[in-house]
Amino acid sequence: MLRSANPTVSLQYRQDMPPPGGFEAVKYKRNLPFRGPSGLVILGAVTAVCAYGFYRVGKGNLEKRELQREKVWSRIHLVPLLLAEGDRDAYRREVAAVEREKEIMKDVKGWEPGKSVYNNARYRSAESIVVL
Amino acid sequence: MSTYQNSSTASQPYSDPTPLPANVPKVNELGVTSAPLKSAAFFLGAYCKEYNEDFMLCKQENRDPGHCLKEGRRVTRCATELITKMRENCLEQFDAHWNCLELNNQEYYPCRKPERTLNKCMFEKLGLTKAIPGSPKGQKAIHEVEKPVFTTVQR
Repeated sequence: MLRSANPTVSLQYRQDMPPPGGFEAVKYKRNLPFRGPSGLVILGAVTAVCAYGFYRVGKGNLEKRELQREKVWSRIHLVPLLLAEGDRDAYRREVAAVEREKEIMKDVKGWEPGKSVYNNARYRSAESIVVL
Repeated sequence: MSTYQNSSTASQPYSDPTPLPANVPKVNELGVTSAPLKSAAFFLGAYCKEYNEDFMLCKQENRDPGHCLKEGRRVTRCATELITKMRENCLEQFDAHWNCLELNNQEYYPCRKPERTLNKCMFEKLGLTKAIPGSPKGQKAIHEVEKPVFTTVQR
C-alpha cells in the first residue's frame, strides 16, 4: 500500500501553476506600427503646397505684367530723344546725297536733283545710304 | 571701296565730310549710353513732357526727318539739361543705379535699392517722381512694392 492512512502526511508533488506574475497577455490584437501620416494628411498637405504655389504664380503673373509695362514705358519715354537724334543724321545724309547728285548730274539739262520718283508728297526713306 | 580704319589710331582726327548745312543750328548730341538713359527714362518723360509731345505730334504730321528739326533740337536740349541737372544734384545715386543696370542686363527689377535712393533724391532735389502710366489704381506701383515675387537669387 502506497497510500498513507494519515491524510496530513502529503506526498512531495508539484502543482502546475501559472508562472510568477501571471501569464503574459494573449497576443490577439493586430500589430500595426505607425507608418507615417495618413493619406488624408498627405493629400491635405499637397493641396496646401499646390494652392500656395498657384497663388504665387498668380501674383507673379500680375507682377510680370507690371514689369513689362514699366519696361515699355521707359522705352516710350526715350523715343523722341532717339528719334530726334536719328532724324538729324538722316537729314544730313539726305542733304549730302542731293549735293552729290547735283554734282554728278550738273551737265544734264532739266534734271531736278533730289526729286522723288513717285508722284506723291508722302515721305519715303532712302532705299540706300552712303556710309560716311 | 574704302577699308576700315580705326579712329583711335588714325593720324588725323575724324572730320565729317558731309556736315549738316550751315543754316541748321548746331546742337550737341546727348552722347549718353543706354544704361544711364534707361535709368533717367522716367524722369526724362516727366521733365521734357511738353517738348517730347510736341515733337511726336510734329512727327505725326510728317515723317520727313527735315520737318521736325526744330522740335528735335528742343527735345535734345531738354534732355541734356535734365542729365546735367541729375549729375549736379544726384550724381552718386545716378551712377549707382545705372551701374547696377549695366550689371543686371538693364532690367529694373534687380536694381530696386539704388533706384529708390535715386527716386528719393530726384524728388527732394528736382521734384520729379517716377510714374508709370496705366498701372492699376489703388495698388503700389511696381517699383515701390516691398516684397516682389521676382527678385534676384541673392538679395
